[in-house]
Amino acid sequence: MSIFHSMNTTASALTAQRLRMDVVSSNMANADTTRAKLVNGEWEPYRRKSVVMQAKEDQFSSYLQTALNTSSQGAGNGVKVSKIVEDETPFQLVYDPTHPDANEEGYVQKPNVDPLKEMVDLMSATRSYEANVTVLNASKNMLMKALEIGK
Amino acid sequence: MSLFSGTISTLENALNYSSAKQKVISQNIANVDTPNYKAKDVSFKAALDQAVGQSIPTNRSDNRHYVFTKSLDPSISIMNKKSVSYNENGNSVDIDQEMSDLAKNQIYYNALTERISGKFSTLQNVIRGGK
Amino acid sequence: MNPISFTPAASTNMLKASQSAVTPAQAQKSFSSFLKDSIEKVNQAQVESDKLTEKLALGQNVDLHQVMIASQKASITMQMTLEIRNKAVEAYQEMMRMQV
Repeated sequence: MSIFHSMNTTASALTAQRLRMDVVSSNMANADTTRAKLVNGEWEPYRRKSVVMQAKEDQFSSYLQTALNTSSQGAGNGVKVSKIVEDETPFQLVYDPTHPDANEEGYVQKPNVDPLKEMVDLMSATRSYEANVTVLNASKNMLMKALEIGK
Repeated sequence: MSLFSGTISTLENALNYSSAKQKVISQNIANVDTPNYKAKDVSFKAALDQAVGQSIPTNRSDNRHYVFTKSLDPSISIMNKKSVSYNENGNSVDIDQEMSDLAKNQIYYNALTERISGKFSTLQNVIRGGK
Repeated sequence: MNPISFTPAASTNMLKASQSAVTPAQAQKSFSSFLKDSIEKVNQAQVESDKLTEKLALGQNVDLHQVMIASQKASITMQMTLEIRNKAVEAYQEMMRMQV
């Protein structure tokens, strides 16, 4: 584990938060999409997506490092997005008989995206991103200061 | 007896690698929006050579067999970065990874130059005899 | 109380030192072994610093401050040994300049 271990960890967190933000923007953009997927000949509306984050800890490389005594007591390797899952909550039904996608009773299935929830998610992702940038700057400053030992 | 062997040549090679990496990083960042651009990376074969023991001579039973020698000139090659995610325009540059690589490379380069100039000044000091 | 009790102890130490004076042969031997010892230490410090620098250049398991501290230690040890050598040579030259 080199001198840049903490910076690698932080970079993985920045990538994960950016992907989370991308998913939020995709959800917001498709908040009104009634024809997202063709299922059995019928159009299904857009399903809200969310990310699942996992710590990069039980991977082969971390076990190898511990065995070779090159890792410092398992300081961890960062975070990664393990999968992007679709939200299984049922679609919203909105009464609009004039809509081209209305069913026989006049209800349209709208995506299960709640803009308020997405905005809160976006704010949380932004704050996490900023916190990680602060950590990266702190690591970088510490390393630069270490280079000045003896000057 | 050679003045500049061992650590100084390692540092030289590492400096070559670091400056090549700087070019690659700036190329990647410049192309962060280019469609179908794949992010590039630098591979450092000589580091592996030196880390895996200096000289393990191979025994050839026949003259026509291939000779495995330690490569004398470290080959630095630029290849595409192994990444799993692409944007919708085919671009595979991860801006966060590139920025943190930039910071890391900066620190690495500074550390290497500081060390190599320290070694050179030690040599000069000894030659001058401390006067 | 301490400063008062220190002075008698210091004077008895000085008396003891003058009573157990070393012979010139002993002084020579101890100085030469001291010089050899310090050259050995310089070499050790340089080798240690080299090892850590290689690890840094190859991106292995080392801390940056460890590398910097080891290199400073090696440099300071080298400086000190150089100065000792210079002073010893100067003292020898001074001695040779003495007219018998």
